[in-house]
Amino acid sequence: MTTAIAAPKCLVCDTEFEVQEDWEKGEITECTACGQEHEVVEKSAAGVRLDLAPEVEEDWGE
Amino acid sequence: MTIADQVLLSVTMLRPEEKLLLGALRAEGLTARPLLMEDLAEVVAGRTGGPPALAVIRNLSHRDAISVSRRLEYAGVTTLNRSSVIEACNDKGLQSLLFARHDIPHPVTRHAFSYDQVRTAVGELGMPAVVKPVSGSWGRGVTKMANAECVEAWAGGRESADATGKLFPVVVQAYVDKPGHDLRVVVVGRTPVVAIQRASEDWRTNTHLGASVERVEVTAEIDKLCQQVVDVLGPGFYGVDLVEDRAIGELLVLEVNANPEFAKSSERHGVDVAGLYAAYVAEQLSVTAAAA
Ligand SMILES: [Zn+2]
Repeated sequence: MTTAIAAPKCLVCDTEFEVQEDWEKGEITECTACGQEHEVVEKSAAGVRLDLAPEVEEDWGE
Repeated sequence: MTIADQVLLSVTMLRPEEKLLLGALRAEGLTARPLLMEDLAEVVAGRTGGPPALAVIRNLSHRDAISVSRRLEYAGVTTLNRSSVIEACNDKGLQSLLFARHDIPHPVTRHAFSYDQVRTAVGELGMPAVVKPVSGSWGRGVTKMANAECVEAWAGGRESADATGKLFPVVVQAYVDKPGHDLRVVVVGRTPVVAIQRASEDWRTNTHLGASVERVEVTAEIDKLCQQVVDVLGPGFYGVDLVEDRAIGELLVLEVNANPEFAKSSERHGVDVAGLYAAYVAEQLSVTAAAA
């Protein structure tokens, strides 16, 4: 599930994200209300699209 | 995009570590941009205005890190760290072989390709011994074999999940009786830029498992071990894990990470690891440019 609006909402608790100027595609950002991690999957003039951050996978890490 | 980026920062996702690196690279005056897996096709096809001067590999996924670095290298792009180094660092068995070949102090290590070989190795090394998957991360799957029952419990549990033994090889290491903590040294280029002591209630001391962090001095012994590691792997960006063997009072190199985490510990120890790494990248680029 993704959302494509200028002011994206948390996909868990619906709190609106404050879009930061320096957000990059691929960036992980936390909902200030519920702590859910989201990934910035797209950033364009039209707005920012967020998805839930990916779960930790077996071959991730140091 | 018509002008090639100087630096691509290859990532699985942009965590605080990678965000710091990106900012630091740009602060060095470099044009830098994150490279996600989905963007790789465009880059290797040369559709991004020419190849980047350098790619910094920071993929959290080991499989992606090796895949991306190899593909970029075959496309003629220099990577940091190099794919061969990432491969060696992502396989504890290969690391051990390198350390043995180059006389780098390391716990006694056996390689096991079957359950029977694990039993034999634990028997030979004596208990406790430690069994590690060669490609585990964050301490996952690392098992301390305190006695024969542990070995059988481990083998039984694993055999039921992996009857054909696809998860082999593993390494079996002599348990190092360490003084309740180990050391993580971050190396940039050839320089150990910071050493931290990680203490934990758990016998594994990964910060990921909640170990506390305290900055310590980079001693001559620490520096010497790091130089040995760099002599073998080449200059790069490493997290070198050292552990004191109380029996001999000397440090051993436990393992080397080619993708060290630093965002949280940097906050505590106050060393700007991202800035130092970015300065190293800039220096490498100017050396390459001067040679061209
Ligand atoms: Zn929320």
